[in-house]
Amino acid sequence: MAVDSPFWRRACEKLVGEEDSGKRLLSLWRLYATMDLLFLARGPQVALTFYVSDFVVGLAAVTATFLLAERFDGIGPWTKPQVLFLLGYAVLVRGLINIFFSYNLAFISRRIGRGQLDHVLIQPQPLWMVLLTEGFAPVTGSGMFVPGLGLLVWAASQLNLEVPPTWYLLLAVDLVASIAVVLAFEYIVGSLAFWAPRAAEEINSSSWRLITQLAPFPLEGLSTWALGSLLTVVPVGLVAWYPARVLLGVGTTLWENAVLPAVAVVLVTVAFWIFSRGLRHYGRTGSTRYLDYGHRR
Amino acid sequence: MGPTRARTRETHQARLHWTRSIPPMQPLRLGGYIKTAAMSAGDVGDSPLFVFDYALRLLRVLVLLALWRTILGGRDSTGPMSLAAVLSYTVVAEVFAEQLAVQTTLSLAFWEGTLVIRFLRPMGMVRQLASEMAGKWLIGLSLFSVPLLLVTPLLGVDPRPSSVVAGGLFILSLALAILVGLALDLFFGALTVALEQPMWLIEYTRTAVATLLSGSLLPLAYYPWGLGDVFSWLPFAAMAWAPLAIYTGTGQPLRLLIGQVLWVAVLWPVADWMWRSNREKLVGYGG
Repeated sequence: MAVDSPFWRRACEKLVGEEDSGKRLLSLWRLYATMDLLFLARGPQVALTFYVSDFVVGLAAVTATFLLAERFDGIGPWTKPQVLFLLGYAVLVRGLINIFFSYNLAFISRRIGRGQLDHVLIQPQPLWMVLLTEGFAPVTGSGMFVPGLGLLVWAASQLNLEVPPTWYLLLAVDLVASIAVVLAFEYIVGSLAFWAPRAAEEINSSSWRLITQLAPFPLEGLSTWALGSLLTVVPVGLVAWYPARVLLGVGTTLWENAVLPAVAVVLVTVAFWIFSRGLRHYGRTGSTRYLDYGHRR
Repeated sequence: MGPTRARTRETHQARLHWTRSIPPMQPLRLGGYIKTAAMSAGDVGDSPLFVFDYALRLLRVLVLLALWRTILGGRDSTGPMSLAAVLSYTVVAEVFAEQLAVQTTLSLAFWEGTLVIRFLRPMGMVRQLASEMAGKWLIGLSLFSVPLLLVTPLLGVDPRPSSVVAGGLFILSLALAILVGLALDLFFGALTVALEQPMWLIEYTRTAVATLLSGSLLPLAYYPWGLGDVFSWLPFAAMAWAPLAIYTGTGQPLRLLIGQVLWVAVLWPVADWMWRSNREKLVGYGG
């Protein structure tokens, strides 16, 4: 069967959408980036407030661990520079989510619970494309990205890492996988809002708080069952601790490099399944909470 | 009528008008506030998924306990606190998490534009907010805090205060901490309005800073470079570090209590002034 046959074309379209999906994605990212810039251009007060707020929140999230590492010259088997690397990784993951999944796309329970999913569904593009592009905020969302990247690079220089080029590939894969894990967890939990819009509207705030508060801590001291839970059911350990261990080679073997991407794929599949079921339910019931003047019942 | 008599009459009328414009002193009707608290507690039925939130809080305690055991376990010297005291500190901080990081329904009222309803009630604004908050606390205390205290021995932690006196002073300190927290909540609410910023922006920043500076996550005694000593003078420390340090016998109770009283005395007039100065702008927030 020829590669350019209608069968293959249809199969490819099923997999990645229409032929010009890539162009459309770039075009939408450019559009949302421009809108984000215009939002910031409203005045220095807005810009300053967003930046300072993001910076302070990001800083505060990792400072506790940093202070402990400084006080005790490391935490458990982690040396001080290794802890810094872990913190840099954790902030970078959070910063990237802020950049690509802003405007409550990482807090999907809010959109579902408030009936705002309708705003997404009426757009003349696939749902996945909206979810990938609408939250793009490269300017207002970069308050944590820059310090996170800086911390990671600085910690790596302190560690005098001599790494092969494939290490950078592993870093990129792990970053994407960690982001996928966080989002999958948020979507699995947030999908509850399809069935309980009012009760679960803010449930992603709780799950996000848990992830961001616990991600910067080394988890070595936990019992086996607790650690197992934090790597599967509530995958806090996969956000920064596990990938940092793998990247720094702290008590890990080569095959463990594949664990994070594999678990990420599983979690994304579960999230997709639950979200699809919720969406089907939403298709039948719709939202009773949306009011045209913006407030909720 | 001569000019002097006319002036006297005007002055009298002005005084009368001034007197009438002062709202008469209302007796404090506790019943209304208790009812408000009860109604607020009843809101728990609106969101039965609060159990999920409790599970996450429990998980956080477990991780923090494991972290402290990893750090301090097997060390000759555990620094300013014993391992047992740090573990108690961590558990009690979670048991009283809502009281040590006071948050009224003010932000929610901004968000939902329902503050106007509270203005219309013949009740004090701050007292209403405090009543609503207390109602929610009842649920948290009975469904999470008490059960957590009960299972604490299973986690290998002794939750008792360092002494009976410490336990008594902790209650006093906790009350002062709540007063400090209430004043700060009102202050930041007024600040949100004054700066005309999104309420979540101020709230996230405040929560992040308070978690770090108050010592609710990590005891200030373990902060390096003398940072803990500096932070202990800030109002945030009066919210969490002071009562927890008294409970675990880490700090000097008298100094900590005096610090809390001072912050109460300073913050309440400031918060009250900020609120009165900015509440007229609330219309922009739906009030």
